[in-house]
Amino acid sequence: MSRTHPACREIETDLVAVAAGEAAAKTASRVHAHVALCAPCRGELARYRAVETMLAELRQAPAPATDVTLARAELESRLADLRRRLIVFGVFSSPLGPILLARSELGVSMVKYLGRASAASRFAALSGVEAVEDERETEPLHRDLMDYLEGRRTRLDWPLDLRLARSEFQRRVLQVTAGLPYGAVASYGGIARQIGAPTATRAVAQALRWNPVPIAIPCHRVIGSTGDLTGYAGNKVALKEWLLTLEGVHLRVARGAHRVDRRAMYVRLWDDTEYCLPTCGSLSRRSLAEIELFASRERAQSVGLAPCTSCRPDLHPLLA
Amino acid sequence: MEEDAFEAIVTGHHAEIHRYLARVTARASEADDLSQETFLRAYRAYRSLPPQANVRAWLFAIASNLCKNHFRAEGRRRRAHAAVQLAGPRVDHGWPEGEAVFTEASARIDGIIADLPLKQRLAFTMRKIHDLDYETIGESLGCSLESARAHVFQALRKIRRGLDALAIPHMEPQR
Repeated sequence: MSRTHPACREIETDLVAVAAGEAAAKTASRVHAHVALCAPCRGELARYRAVETMLAELRQAPAPATDVTLARAELESRLADLRRRLIVFGVFSSPLGPILLARSELGVSMVKYLGRASAASRFAALSGVEAVEDERETEPLHRDLMDYLEGRRTRLDWPLDLRLARSEFQRRVLQVTAGLPYGAVASYGGIARQIGAPTATRAVAQALRWNPVPIAIPCHRVIGSTGDLTGYAGNKVALKEWLLTLEGVHLRVARGAHRVDRRAMYVRLWDDTEYCLPTCGSLSRRSLAEIELFASRERAQSVGLAPCTSCRPDLHPLLA
Repeated sequence: MEEDAFEAIVTGHHAEIHRYLARVTARASEADDLSQETFLRAYRAYRSLPPQANVRAWLFAIASNLCKNHFRAEGRRRRAHAAVQLAGPRVDHGWPEGEAVFTEASARIDGIIADLPLKQRLAFTMRKIHDLDYETIGESLGCSLESARAHVFQALRKIRRGLDALAIPHMEPQR
């Protein structure tokens, strides 16, 4: 090939394509017509073909000395680790506003109210965790949640992954709170007693404030010692009120704030197997930390409690 | 999560992606790391992959991107390394005859590939070793099909020139 001849320079790309077997028929015949008359380009085509032959050998040759089996084993181990850490999430609309639902391979690990600034709060919620969005995979959680929020079910029987809990203490608080039945409320002090730390009321409130899975673990059923709703997920006490109302818990307004109406609820002393009228014996004077309140007889009975044999809530039910 | 679907992706493509990376990085340890990273990234992202997507092309794209990032970071070190190699004595096998020409030439090709600019090296390896089409290569490298073809062409031209020193057996062009 003459490096200076424009025709030869022009045809080089096509010549390479012909050598590689990639040229269209028209291009190939043009190249062949050229090389028939041009000895240097003929030689060039031969060399490019020789290169292609060597490349074919290279393709067959084993990869540069590496142990791909070992690399694969290491990959498997890192993948397993990633699978344990990775959570998939979806953002959905709900009567409580936009909500983020996330699960790991172990179970549901995050339920997060996003509020109005949902992009920023979503970013904040997911910082420090390995998360990928997958609405398809999290949609079943959303369906369950909607069934719950619209009153078609009273339990979210989700396996939970509490690894996002901040401490062992918080995990214990969450576990006890998870046992509070639908339509029942207890106080922060009551939960503190249940975990064997009766003076840790404030710590319990903090632990519940950072509940990674609200609703699934019903921290909205935990209230202040006076019956005040106090707080919920930071400053979302209106959502707490909404959720309790959904469950039939009786609320009244006192000094501008909602408060659970003790006098309208059935009572059970922690660990007792019976439920009573709020006026039974000395119950009305007991601290909220010692009792659990139930919105209705059905709710008390649904967790296996029997009506008290002295006050007979079954014979003298509270007026709804 | 669809673990089995991803397991099938690993089984189907890990060896090839590893081979690709071993060739373009020319270092086994880098191929190990980069192929792991390729699949970890793929695992994080594959849920959002459309069902009809070409998984192989997608993995090559992830691997190529990682390579680009890797060499951007490594660029300075690598340039220094190359300079030292050029300055050092080159092994000269003289003028081998017959079959030895091919062996020598293959070794020479490896050397030339290693010295290619990164995009050419990636495009060339995807095309000539892994037989991907130009469109896929373009997508992997974030360039047009024409640029992908041009990268491969430039690489071939350099290889061809680099082999000038050797007595390449001539074959008459077939008609």
